[in-house]
Amino acid sequence: MPITILAPRPAPQRPLSGPAVSGLNSDSDSEMDSDSGGVQIRSAKRRRASADEDEGDEILTPGTIITSNPQWMRGHGTYVLPNTTSITSSLAGTLTKTNKLLSVRPLRARYTPEIGDLVVGRIVEVQAKRWRVDVAASQLAVLQISAINLPGGILRKRTETDELQIRSFFAEGDLVVAEIQQLHQDGAASLHTRSLKYGKLRNGVFVSVSGTGGGSGVVRSKRQVWTLETANAGGNVGVLLGVNGYIWISKHIESDVAAEAAGINRMEESVSSKVYSSQNDDIEPATMREIARMKSVILALVEHGLKVDEDTVTRGYHEAVELGRETPDDDLYLGGEKGKRLAATLTGR
Amino acid sequence: MATTHTLLSPAELNYLHTSLSLRPPIRSDGRLPTQFRPLTAETGILQGTNGSACVTFSDGAEAIVGVKAEIERTPDSQSGDEEEKKARGDWVEISVEIPSQRDDDAATVFLGEMLREALLGDGEFAKKLRINRRFHWRLHIDILLLSPPLSYPLPLLSLTTHLALLATRLPKLKSEGDEDPMFDDDWESSVFVYPREGASEGTRPPITLLVVTVGDNVIFDPSKEELAVAETALAVSVAEVRREKPRGGMEVDSKGRELKLLSIRTIDPPSRLTPPGVPNGTATTGTEGKPAPNLSSETPVAGVWKAPLGGTKFAVVDGIIQAVLEKGGVADEVLDGLDGVELA
Repeated sequence: MPITILAPRPAPQRPLSGPAVSGLNSDSDSEMDSDSGGVQIRSAKRRRASADEDEGDEILTPGTIITSNPQWMRGHGTYVLPNTTSITSSLAGTLTKTNKLLSVRPLRARYTPEIGDLVVGRIVEVQAKRWRVDVAASQLAVLQISAINLPGGILRKRTETDELQIRSFFAEGDLVVAEIQQLHQDGAASLHTRSLKYGKLRNGVFVSVSGTGGGSGVVRSKRQVWTLETANAGGNVGVLLGVNGYIWISKHIESDVAAEAAGINRMEESVSSKVYSSQNDDIEPATMREIARMKSVILALVEHGLKVDEDTVTRGYHEAVELGRETPDDDLYLGGEKGKRLAATLTGR
Repeated sequence: MATTHTLLSPAELNYLHTSLSLRPPIRSDGRLPTQFRPLTAETGILQGTNGSACVTFSDGAEAIVGVKAEIERTPDSQSGDEEEKKARGDWVEISVEIPSQRDDDAATVFLGEMLREALLGDGEFAKKLRINRRFHWRLHIDILLLSPPLSYPLPLLSLTTHLALLATRLPKLKSEGDEDPMFDDDWESSVFVYPREGASEGTRPPITLLVVTVGDNVIFDPSKEELAVAETALAVSVAEVRREKPRGGMEVDSKGRELKLLSIRTIDPPSRLTPPGVPNGTATTGTEGKPAPNLSSETPVAGVWKAPLGGTKFAVVDGIIQAVLEKGGVADEVLDGLDGVELA
């Protein structure tokens, strides 16, 4: 069946509770009523319970007045109108209460760079001494020519020749894996690729899951890069989860032993001219199939609002291999019904 | 006409191209070559229109189409058949709106014209709009893409238009002959422009499919990455033709549908404008001052991207038409799927 046409899903049923404003006010009212005795504990407990229920319930839009009660404090995603005590939402999202702190968690958000983050970026602009890189943040990041490893054997200064042939290192469209080195006043980030782990990406496919928000998508975790031994004789496949939600899935290439041995001090020497080529190695069809499977697993995870990290991707991949055995002639695609089953298996353990 | 350009690195282009050229091809999201992404369809969403539909692809692309009809006086045609035919083409007005693109943008105009050409391709559609010698219906088809154009939106817009036209109803005519038209007030008794059941002879609304080829493989419903490496991209419009069933038996297979090819348009695949990849060992070393080898050398290196050259081979176009039109082929299955959509 090449095409599936679904009927529209009805809007998700939300319990019909009052607006956030009334909820907060009634809570505070009950607290004021029960000023003395052990009743207060009970009411506090009840408030916490009701706050838990409220969570993810009501979607606030920018400009919604959350409460005008002065006992609450404003947190992220809110502001107080001048000359009033009204806490107003500045984002579209759900309300989170932490004790007396009100904050709004956005439904979708752009990536906010932080120093040390591993990101995957795409070069969008080449300038005289630097590249502008799309890292899914609100502004383009900057990669200076001084922040990359120049090829050429010896540790050397960058020269004007390098600046003239800046496109031979990275050109528009190239994908790089880099680390955030520095943040500027306006929130723009500077990147660097001064490590053998970083540089141009080859031998694989790109997936973007940025801007999902609400607990899905890539989250910061201990390991953002790992290698997975795949089923069906696919060999090793490397997965690189950029913190910014850009993902690179590629055939794992054994790193150069000589380069490893050279150590950090003589790293530059081992940077061969291969680093900046865009030639793919020979990739077996079996490996390509497993890379495609990995990509559809990640897309299915995001479609069903699950987070993408080493654990979910690995488990999802093994589930997908099992699922694929059921229908051997169409075992890769995980859209629609199969994706739903995969998500159910992953969440329901 | 060029499609929206997707920025991809030469290494990605090469990987995608290699995996799609395998037999059978491996699509990067794991679909089969003829498999479409699941979509959600709904009709009758706009109260103020004669027919409307909304289609959402699973990648988030969403389109709404509304069809409105108004009565217009037919200018007296004295100057023969040729003039009349032209007037009929004008009875349908299609406007396409794509966010972040001007409505007089060449790409948008081309999209609209492609949909219009398919609709009016057989010259039968305008006959349905004729009321009598003095009056006719004028259809305004407003096509609105709600999401930013993620990939080439032609199939999405075409499927939505198809559903909206299927759902279009016109008030029932009460008057007779050439007198001023009078209509039944009751919307319940209105008639479908394309009656679903019964003796409805003629062409059904068309669908336009986007088909790309990579190597010898024919791939349907390409994602934007697949379109970016395609060697050929074709927009193929087909429609079902229903014939009056011959009386007295001879009914072999009631499910068989007759498909008619209305038009084929080539779409300029964006792969032709991509820069070539850099092979190993040619990255310049700066200080040595060695001139970089000529990148546009004729011999292709395995694993290095090179933009495809040349036109489409006849055999490839033939293969596409076969895959679309054959019994139980893609168009057949897509129409089957669309038939299952409830008309509100």
